[in-house]
Parts: sequence; structure tokens; C-alpha cells
Amino acid sequence: MKFNFWYVSSLSISLIVAIPILTVFTSFFQDTSNYFEILKQTFFFEYIFNSLTLLIGVLFLTFVLGAGSAYVVSFYQFPGANFFKWALILSFAVPPYIYAYSLFAFFENYGTAFTILKYLFGDGEYNKHIPKFSGMFGLILSISFSLYAYVYILARSSFLYQSQNLIELGKNLGFSKFKSFYSIILPAARPAIVAGLSLVAMETLAEFGAVDFFSVNTLTTGIYNAWITFDDLAFANRISFFLLLFIFILFLTENLSRKKARYHLEAKGGFKKKEKIKLCGAKSLFAFIFCFSLFFLSFLFPLSQMLYWTIKFPENLVGIQITDLLLNTLYLVSISSLVLLFFALISNYGNRVSNKKTLNALSTLSISGYAIPGVILAIAFITFVAWFDENLIKALGFLSIKKIFIGSVLGLVIVYFVRFYSLAFNGIKSGYEKMNISVDESAYLLGYSKTKTFLNIHIPYLRNSLLFVIILISLEIIRELPITLILRPFNFETFATTAYISASEDLLEAAAVPSLCLIIIASFFILLTSKYILRDNDE
Amino acid sequence: MKKISILSLILSLILSTFAIANEVNIFNARHYKADAELYDKFTAATGIKVNLINGKSGALEKRMIEEGADSAADLYITADAGRCGAFQAKGMTQSGLTSSTIKSSVPKNFRTSHWVGVAKRARIIYYSPERVTGAELSGMSYEGLADPKWKGRLVIRKSSNIYNKSLVASLIANNGKKATAEWAKGVVANMARPSEGNDRAQIMAVAAGEADIAVANTYYLALMLSGNKGAEQQEAAKKVKAFFPNQDGRGTHMNISCAALVKGAPNKANAIALVDYLLSPSAQEHFTNNTFEFPMIAGVSPSPLVVNNLGLDFKQDLKTKVSTYGKNQAAALEVMTAAGWK
Amino acid sequence: MNNNFLEIKNVSFKAGGKTKVKNVSFSIENKGDIICLLGPSGVGKTTILRTIAGLEKIKSGSIKLKDKILSSAKDHIEPENRNISLSFQENSLFPHYTVEKNIHLGAEAKKLNGKKKVSPKKIIKLLNIEKILSKYPHQISAGEAQRVALARSLVTQPDLLLLDEPLSNVDQSFKEEIQVQLKKLLHDLKITTIIVTHDSYEAFYLGSKCGVILNDQLKQYDDPYNVYHFPNSVEVVNFLNRGILIPAKVTGENSLENEDLGTIKGNFIKHYPKGSDVKLLLQPEDLEHDDKSNLKLEVVDRKFRGTNFIYTLKTTTNHLIPVLVHSHHIHQHQVDEKFGIKRPIYIDHIVCF
Repeated sequence: MKFNFWYVSSLSISLIVAIPILTVFTSFFQDTSNYFEILKQTFFFEYIFNSLTLLIGVLFLTFVLGAGSAYVVSFYQFPGANFFKWALILSFAVPPYIYAYSLFAFFENYGTAFTILKYLFGDGEYNKHIPKFSGMFGLILSISFSLYAYVYILARSSFLYQSQNLIELGKNLGFSKFKSFYSIILPAARPAIVAGLSLVAMETLAEFGAVDFFSVNTLTTGIYNAWITFDDLAFANRISFFLLLFIFILFLTENLSRKKARYHLEAKGGFKKKEKIKLCGAKSLFAFIFCFSLFFLSFLFPLSQMLYWTIKFPENLVGIQITDLLLNTLYLVSISSLVLLFFALISNYGNRVSNKKTLNALSTLSISGYAIPGVILAIAFITFVAWFDENLIKALGFLSIKKIFIGSVLGLVIVYFVRFYSLAFNGIKSGYEKMNISVDESAYLLGYSKTKTFLNIHIPYLRNSLLFVIILISLEIIRELPITLILRPFNFETFATTAYISASEDLLEAAAVPSLCLIIIASFFILLTSKYILRDNDE
Repeated sequence: MKKISILSLILSLILSTFAIANEVNIFNARHYKADAELYDKFTAATGIKVNLINGKSGALEKRMIEEGADSAADLYITADAGRCGAFQAKGMTQSGLTSSTIKSSVPKNFRTSHWVGVAKRARIIYYSPERVTGAELSGMSYEGLADPKWKGRLVIRKSSNIYNKSLVASLIANNGKKATAEWAKGVVANMARPSEGNDRAQIMAVAAGEADIAVANTYYLALMLSGNKGAEQQEAAKKVKAFFPNQDGRGTHMNISCAALVKGAPNKANAIALVDYLLSPSAQEHFTNNTFEFPMIAGVSPSPLVVNNLGLDFKQDLKTKVSTYGKNQAAALEVMTAAGWK
Repeated sequence: MNNNFLEIKNVSFKAGGKTKVKNVSFSIENKGDIICLLGPSGVGKTTILRTIAGLEKIKSGSIKLKDKILSSAKDHIEPENRNISLSFQENSLFPHYTVEKNIHLGAEAKKLNGKKKVSPKKIIKLLNIEKILSKYPHQISAGEAQRVALARSLVTQPDLLLLDEPLSNVDQSFKEEIQVQLKKLLHDLKITTIIVTHDSYEAFYLGSKCGVILNDQLKQYDDPYNVYHFPNSVEVVNFLNRGILIPAKVTGENSLENEDLGTIKGNFIKHYPKGSDVKLLLQPEDLEHDDKSNLKLEVVDRKFRGTNFIYTLKTTTNHLIPVLVHSHHIHQHQVDEKFGIKRPIYIDHIVCF
């Protein structure tokens, strides 16, 4: 058998991704339990109960908000509809933990809500009447308002591609608008919505910053606590088994739904540009109020809370090295996207030219990293490097390699790679899928070599996909918290870590400046992508 | 070409981690701007560069443990003796954090040869003078928090919080685990709401009338009174008074911010120099005026906000060694969890 | 030493690990010849083109172009070095370039050193794609895309042009015109071409030779006239579907006997001993209509084809015989009516199996 470059490179990528995942399992099978049974029982059920409550709450809210807004925006014409179309995805710029800071700060005793009431109505006992959003309820709200856009984007694109026939069918059968919505439109978009909800669910289970801030114990923080605080790997093992079970189900659901969603998209028989229904009067006002409230609550509210703090406590602007933070963030973003794109391109190209089933299976394995929470990936990475160093490098008499990987940008980039490889891989894959393999073959037949085909045909064709992937990766890394927190080098902060560190020391107002910067930069990146996310006159 | 540039990039990343300099590496779990300012002053005075990695104590400890002997960590700075004690118990610290400055300025109760307190705080009771009478408070102790007369009137943060763990650990050291388990049940029964929020939120709950008494650290009230948290909280803080418990007995529960000398520290001498510097009168004054903690050394006064509103004249518990906090931590969490303390 | 332009010898064509067509040999004698490969879909015609183009490898036999080995068990010249052009059935245009750029890219990629350049303009005009030059592939129809792909292939002046169902998406009304133009163009440019199609009329018109591929074999490779009139197997007859086989008994050197039609005379193309039972190929033009004849069969169907009618007649043994009648023939026979067949029946060449 000849040396197959594509096979070897795909194998190595999968291996890099598999290492931390395998470490999670293997290290958990060392039994070092020294913890108390009673605690375990209590915590264990609390973790599962909390994770389930959180999941159900978030899924319900994101479904209502995401599918509802997508429906209104794609089927109806009302004042501001075109603005809300893209404004609603700005909520991506506010990570759940920053939303949590805003929510808590606004409603706490003597918080922003109190200040507003006092300003409007003078002194009074307002604290008792201001609802408190902390703990589980606050957490559900924070995550939902930050993540509903996943459902919104996928549902919207599915609604847009629904053939006119389907909607006319509803009219034909004499259905009311509501009945058409839930018995025709919604079921047709189900795969897309399920895919969006599974993404939300995975992100919810992986969420660290907001969960930590509201100190709600979920399975993920449970593993973190059991592993980090109590060194109880056996307990961590038990929790992670459940977590991975959850995740495995979600991963499968998401993949299957995506395939179905694609199938639905391809069946574009009878597709013609839909005429949006023009709303007027009270209905139009209702649609506007719904979308505006969503936009306000998900984006304007956290933005203004952070802005308010920045103005109220300007002393926090002193001493914060915004340029350094920006450069650090951009440094991470550029190296990571470069590495991710490079490997995702190689792997996709390899799959394309060799078209082997084993390669396809390997790439499915290598995109599984995104389902594993960042906290767990980061710790697993450290554990693996330490083990590898101890048992192989030192045993062979070499210098320790720990410093190269732990607390270095290299280590960070590797773990980002594991976590975000699926973004890069799938982004490029979906670009490639739109181009028949015969396009490559015609290029060969026109005299282009494989390299020339790649450089002169593929790269220009994939340009938009590549750009889109870079921006997606950037957005994720800008918001990323636990991996950066655990693995970053000395004197190296990003907006996310600065905000988190301040918040964890009860200095929420100091967290405002980095949070504000993060929201602004992320919004900028989102506006760059909105064109690709929301294209609707394609094909 | 792309490959080569990536290769050189990776190479430069690797090389940069091997740079050697006159420095001290701190794993820092205290994130006050004031601390960072002190480190800058230290660098200006000695030429020793301070490298910081900020994070939550758990993650920092885990990273040091995994990095093992190869860790660049010199000092681990964190709030709470319980953490330093537990970290020492894991064999992650080394002895030798002794210097003439340390010996002469830090009371024995607040240091071991592995770690040293650099600032003090007390965990005390806050009350609403409108709703709590002097008679009710008279002779009040931590043990008294379980008294049924406080039913529905008490707020305190979660059991997972290190300050609570250390407080309960000290109770276990003094009263035994069994008695403390009963006590924890009483405390939970008295809670006005399930535990949530940080120490400052507990004080504000008393100010807002959600509860009558709260347990929180000393510096939080001063922080609110300073106006650094805004005018509303400054006003709120004025509605709450501080009470130092156990004055008739062993004294008020004390805790420290501590610096631990990490095992295998590559810059041990610099680490000790930095601790010495943190214990200098000017650094201590900087602490007291910015973080509103109590100074560790004699001859430096706490912030006027602390002196005027909390008072200085209280009996500190110097009998319970802070080094026991770490030892009893697991037991503390166990009794709290068993009592249903969230 | 032979001087065939393209020679394929004992090649088994494989795609995706499966053998599609076994042990094929055929050749194109002269530069500029056009041949057609005919067969039902899925039979492996496309695989043959892909293999000749170098997109698939072979394990046995050889493919030679101008006496140079392109593919064999040992050798494989990469597609980009073959100067063979393949126009795919599906859209293979570069999606991110305009039609014009697509066409020009072909010419740019191949250095047409020393070759007489064909003017792309001429080809563009000929294929009637002037109006869509500035459009992108996703904005044009499938038929247009096929013509653009054809243009892209033509401007490169390949040694060998392979066309996979080139007109499958072209409107029927436009198809014949394009066929004429295409044939003329290929002839003018002297481009040797293999065209794959499932449409036998197209193959008969365009190809100087036709290959019929059935059941993983190249059944017949011959002039279109011969393929039609002298099919070499029952399978080819069935595939062309323009005649039927009826049972008959050989009664002499140049006669046979059928139960319904009686004596049929003509020239056997193959000798059968007297008394053998054979299946006789009857094509629509073999029988003639004659109202006065006493040989009458029942009409079960009538197809109007513009220039003619094709009647389907049922024999007593339930065989359905096609008979072609000029369309000016005034009185028409309805279904269920009787239809007279002129006797004696004489068939110029008798094909039996």
C-alpha cells in the first residue's frame, strides 16, 4: 500500500481531537475516591436535576423566541422587519456570562432598576418590588437570550426555503394562520429547528461562565468541582458519564437533523420567492413589539447596562490595557483561524480527492470536539500533557515539554483547535458540497494539475466560505472563556478573561469595560457575517 | 510558503516560553486593581518583573499540580487561609517562606513556614438597627446564629463559598463536628431565603429589608460606604450596622489573604522579596485603603471607613489557628450539605 | 503496427470498485471521426468516457491515443496531461466564474502553442450562447449549461473530445438544429469525438460508428446502418426497440414460414439449415400495407409520427408487429379494424436468431 498523504493527515487531525476526549475517559477510570458518599448522592442528583431543569427551560425559551421571531420575520412585512432580520442575530455578541452580569446587576437590591425608579419617582422602598433574577431562573434567561439566535437563524433559513405550495396548501385547506403555522410550516421546518435546538442544548451543557456566576451546579461544573476542588476522579467519572450520554444524544440528533434539513432544502420543487404578507394595524404593531422587545432584551439591555457602568464608574477605564487586550484577542484569533483553516482545508480536500469511507468516518470523529465542554477539554489537555511528559518524554531522558503546551499560546491554539475544528471543517465542507466533483475533473481535463485546481479553482470558489469560517471562529474565540482562562500564559488576558476575573471578585462594574469592548467587537464581526448568515435571494 | 510561516510562528512561540529573566511568577486568585498597582511598585523598586496568571483558585491549583515540578509558579496568592492550608496538604508548597521581616511582622497564628498572611479580614454579623434590638444582639456569637429567634431573619451565602467553609471549619475545631452539624441545621432553618449571591448581596438584603441579619466579611461594608459601588449602595450601607461576634469568648473569626511558596519555585528569593515588600508599611497602607482589609502588621491603621464604621476595638480569635481551616474544610462542607445548606 | 487514432484493447472499465463494462475493445481509425456509444442509463457508458479521460484507472488491457499508451495496467497518464476533453452530463462549470470566463479558462489552461486557434467567438455564436456570456452558471438553464460546457471543451482543441449526453437537457425543438451544427463544427475542426447517448437517433445521426453497450459488454460496434439493419444479438434488437422477433421455420435457401404471415422470402445474412426454428426480426419497414390483400391482421395501436404512421398489428399468436405507412396514405385504419398486408412478403436481408 502506498503512503497516502490524505489518509495520514486526516488520521492525525482526528488523533489530536481524540486525545483530550480519550483522556477524559481514561483518567476517570482511576479510582481515587476520598470523598464522602453523602455529599456525592446529594450533589449527584442536584447536578442532574439542575442540568435537566436548565436544559428544559432554555430549550423552551429559545424555541419560542427563535422560531417565533423567525416566523414573524420571514412571513410578514411590517415596519422594521428588514432591520430586525439581521438585528436579531446581534444577540450572539453577548455571551451568556455577560448577559448574566447585566441581568444580576440590573435587578439586584440597589441595582440599576432601583436607581432608575429612584430617579423617576424619588426615594422609596423599591427593592421589595423589583423581581430578582438570580440562580436558576436568571441562568435560564441569560443563556436563552444569548443563544436563541441559533434557532432563529436555522428556522429562518428553513422557512425561507419552504415552497410557496406548502403555504398555499394551508390556505387551500382553509386553515387559519395559526393552524397553518403549527400544522404545516412548523413541521416542515422541524429538522432545522431541532438542529438549532441541539446546538443550543450543547452550548448550554458546556456553558461555564454564567453557570459559575449564578453558582448553579450543573453536570459540567460538577465535573469541574469534583475534579479540580476535590480531586475525586471516580465521582467526576460518574458525572461525566451522564454528561457525555446527554451530549452523545444531542450530537446524534443534531447530525441527523442537519442531514434531514439539507434534504428538505434540496427538495426545492416549486420554489419561488415568497410574497410576504403585509401586516397592518394592531397586528403590525404586535409583530413590531415582539421583535423589538426581543432585540431590546437580548442586545440593547446588556449593552446599555455595560455602557451605563462604564460611564458611571469611569475610574475603571484607567489601568485597563484595552489595546493589549485587543491585540491579545486578535493574536489568538488570527493564529487559531489560520491553523484551523489550514487543516480543515487539507482534510476537506483530502476527502474530496480520495473519496474514501474511512476518511469520512475519521472526519466525523474529528468534528466531535465541539460537543465537549471547553472546561473539560482544557483540563483533559493539561492532564494528558502531564501524563505524556511524565511517562514518555522524561522516561526517555528529554527535557520536559510541559511548558511548551501548558500556559502557552500553542497549547491554547491546540485546544481551540479541538473545540472549534467542526466549525472550520463544516464551513468549508458546505462550500465544497455546492461544487460538483465534475468541476474538479473538468479542470484536470482542461489541463490544470491537482495543485493548480486547488489554488486556481477551489480557493477562489471557497473564498466566501473561508471568510465566513474565519469570522465564525473569531466570534467564538472572542467570547471563549474557560479554555482561555485555564490555559493562558502569564500576563495574558483577553476581554473575556478580564471581565470574568473582575466579576468573580465582586467587581462587576470593573467587568463592564472589557464586556463592552467584547460586545462591540463581536457585533462588528457579526455584522460582517450577517450577509452570509442571512442570504435569502440565493438560487 | 504557508507551511514555513506557520512553522516559524510555532517555533517562536516555543522559544518565547524559555526566556529567562529576573522575575517572579505569581498564580493569583486575588484580582484587585490595588494588588496590580502594588506589583508595579515592587518592580519599580527592585527591578524584579512580576508575571501574573489570574484565575479562580481551583483552576490555578489544578494547573500547578499538573505542571508539577516543571511549574513556573513561585507564589500562589489567594484569599483565605483554608485554601493555602489545603494546598499545603496536597504537598504543593514548600517551607522556607521565612525572613526576618515575616517573622517580626506577622503574628504566628497567621503564618506557617509554607505560607504567610498578607492582610486580614474578619467574618462578622451585619444587622438592621431598625429591626434588631441591642438586647437581641447582646452576647451574640456565631453559635447563636442557630438560635430559633432568628427564624426567617438570617441571610448567608452558599455552602460552597470558601469563607463559609473556613468559618464552619473553625467552628468544628472549637465545638466538634457533631455539634457543628446540629448548628448547621439551625442556621438553615433560620434562613430568610435559600443562599444566593455574594457577601455584598447579603448586606444589601438586610438594607433592603429582606432579612434582619447577615454574615459577611468586614471589607464589604467599607467598600459600599466608600461610594466605589455607587451612591445607592453607599446609602444602603448606612442602613446596616456591623457586629463583632464571640467577644465574650474566643473572639471574632479571622481570616487572611495569603501568599504560599510553591514547591519547586524557580525564583524563590524573588518570591520572598515580594512577600517582604507586601508586608512593608507602605504596601500595607495601600491594601487597607483600597481593599479595606485589616493590615497584617502593627503600626498601620485600617482605612478610616473601617475604623469609623466598623470599629477597631474588637477581640480577634487568635486561639483558633488559621491553619486548621484547611484541615477541616471537607468536614465543614459535609455538615453544611447534610443540613441542606445550598 | 497499426495506425488507428484511438485504440482500446481488452479493457475492463471500473468505477467505485465495481466492474461496469468487461473486456472492451474498439478503435477509432482516423482523426476527426465521430463515434457514438449507445446504451441504457447506468450501463457504464460514462465510466468508459471517464476512463479514457484518465479519471479512472484500469487494471488490464490498454488505451492508446496516436500510438501512445495513455492507460494500461502499469501506465497512467494524468488527465491534465492527456489533452482529452470531457464534457460532463451534470453541470461542471466553475460556479464562481461567468460563462465567458469559463469558456476562456479552458483556452488559457491549455497552452495552444503552435496550434491553429479556433475563434471562441465562432463557437459561442454557433452554440447560441452569446446572450448569456456575462451570467453565472447558477443563473442559466441546464441546457444552456451543457452548451457552455461544450464550448469550453471545444475551444481547447483537444485531441479527443468526449461528450456525455451532450444534448440531454436541450429542448427538443432546438435539439435537431444543434445536432446538425455540432456535427458540422466537429467536422470542420477535425475533432475526434466520442459521444455517449441513450438516444439511438442521435447516435445514428452523429456517429460514423456506433457501439451498443448492454449487460456489461460492448455488444456491437459498427456503422449505424449495420447496427440498425444487422443487429448482432437479441439484446441489441430489444434495446433499439424498432422491430420484433417472431417465430419462423426455415423452409429453403431464401425462404421461411410464419404461422400468420405465411411464406417470407429474402436473403439470409447467415445460413440456417432447412427446417430450423428461428426468430425472425421484423422491422416496421419490412411489411407493406395493401388493402386488397387477404392477409389481414387486427390493429391494436396507431402512432402518428408526422411523416408516417406506425401501426401495431396483433397476430393470432399474440405477437405485436409494427408496420410503417406513409402519412399521406388517405384512409386510416382505426383500432380493432383489420389491416391488410401485401403479399408476397419479401425482405431484402433476413436477420434471424
